[in-house]
Amino acid sequence: MRGFEELNPAVLMTYYLCVIGTAMFCMDPVVIGISLAGACALFITLDGKRGARTHLSFFLLFLVMSLINPIWYHNGVTVLFVVNDSPITLEALAYGVCASAMIVSVLYRLRTFTMIISADKLLYVFGRLSPQLSLVLSMALRFVPLIRAQTTKVRSSQKALGIYRGDNIADTLKGEARIFSITATWALENGIITSDSMEARGYGEHRRTSFSVFRFTRGDALFLALCLVPSAVFIAAAATGEMSFTFYPAMSGISLTPLSAAGYASYGFLSLLPCILEWKEDIRWRYLISRI
Amino acid sequence: MLLIKNRNLRAFIVRAFPFVLIPAAAILGAVVFDNSRHLIISLAVAVMTLLVFAAGYEKKKVGTWRMVIASVMTALCVFGRFIPLFKPITAITIITGMYIGSETGFLVGAMSALISNIYMGQGPWTAFQMLAWGLIGYIAGIIAEPLKRHRWLLLFYGVVTGIAYSFIMDIWTTLWYSGGFDIGVYLSALITAIPYTVSYAVSNLIFLLFLAKPFGEKLERIRKKYGL
Repeated sequence: MRGFEELNPAVLMTYYLCVIGTAMFCMDPVVIGISLAGACALFITLDGKRGARTHLSFFLLFLVMSLINPIWYHNGVTVLFVVNDSPITLEALAYGVCASAMIVSVLYRLRTFTMIISADKLLYVFGRLSPQLSLVLSMALRFVPLIRAQTTKVRSSQKALGIYRGDNIADTLKGEARIFSITATWALENGIITSDSMEARGYGEHRRTSFSVFRFTRGDALFLALCLVPSAVFIAAAATGEMSFTFYPAMSGISLTPLSAAGYASYGFLSLLPCILEWKEDIRWRYLISRI
Repeated sequence: MLLIKNRNLRAFIVRAFPFVLIPAAAILGAVVFDNSRHLIISLAVAVMTLLVFAAGYEKKKVGTWRMVIASVMTALCVFGRFIPLFKPITAITIITGMYIGSETGFLVGAMSALISNIYMGQGPWTAFQMLAWGLIGYIAGIIAEPLKRHRWLLLFYGVVTGIAYSFIMDIWTTLWYSGGFDIGVYLSALITAIPYTVSYAVSNLIFLLFLAKPFGEKLERIRKKYGL
């Protein structure tokens, strides 16, 4: 099997749908803990040591969001202390911590999603939805760097003509506005020429075919199975209500029945699956290097 | 994944979703499920609405030039999202809806959300952003004539949509955070989002003030020049 990033995009999307879809709707502290650990581990595995700012901003977000709930909500039986005649309760604080941990874990997941799913992979998956929309999507993706390049060209020619001056803010703004206007006109005309050219070559006469470099291999099928089976077990366990954790008025304990244990175990496996794949590849790589 | 290539499926989506499935989901959400399922219901409704629009595009013959112009405008939106503080994305969506038509406006709004999130970060909120921006463009297309005639109305629409966009996205934040809709959490979300709300409204105002007329002229000129 290949590394996590090299899997078929449709399989990757399915994995993210499973792991985020289940994490978002389950307010069980154990599940949230597992989810946060798995998401964080994957982010660190993929990103290395560079993500210090991400960790810091997510931690601040976590702190702020944890405190919103006890400030607004005063349900719960265990009063910690009283501020301005309104009680701050342990239950509301616990709910705030759990909800923000859940949100932060999903944000970590989505950060790795953005790292892994590049534009071409997105196009591969969403492009199948409908051919016309996928054409708009791929052309827009092409136009972004094209417009950026054209802006640079227009700016240099304006500078060479001596029209653009950067002495003060008013001049800079005026110059930038003119450059944007020129580029926009150019982009629109270029678009019309493109569409004329497309029609002249018979666009819209037949069904479009599309090319993609992604294949569905046996490894993809295996990964898909390893992702869908634990998700099904988890959803089944959650649907029976064995894993329902209530915060108000008093926190219920974590019930550890065979079914809920199976749910936790399968969610742990699902959460760590990409990390396992990455670590396995890493160990293999080190092993191969050590033999040289 | 070959979802909307099939003609029958498209017809099914266009008829069944708006009249049966979306109301059914809303009623089920209100009556049968408790508060904690509102998030799933709202996400499902947002995705279904997007599918209805996606299905509509294939059915109608939009014309190649409209599609290409839509991708150019989308690219300009995405390009403009890198400007610090002020974002022209809503303004460009409104201008597109106003001068080219409702469908193209919706397309530009929805696609800009999708593409700019490739750079900014995808998430479950993408569906909501696509829907919110798409609808802003679609409505601008419906009320295009008065918007073109009265400048103050256009600027007013820009400010209102800027504020409404922020309010709608905060509903989603609240649903996600507290499971159900809670007015206290919603208010605190609104308060923390005030800088963003102001920035949206002001950017819409500025960009509509400076871009609406020049872009209208550019699009008119292109229509004349290429005989569209």
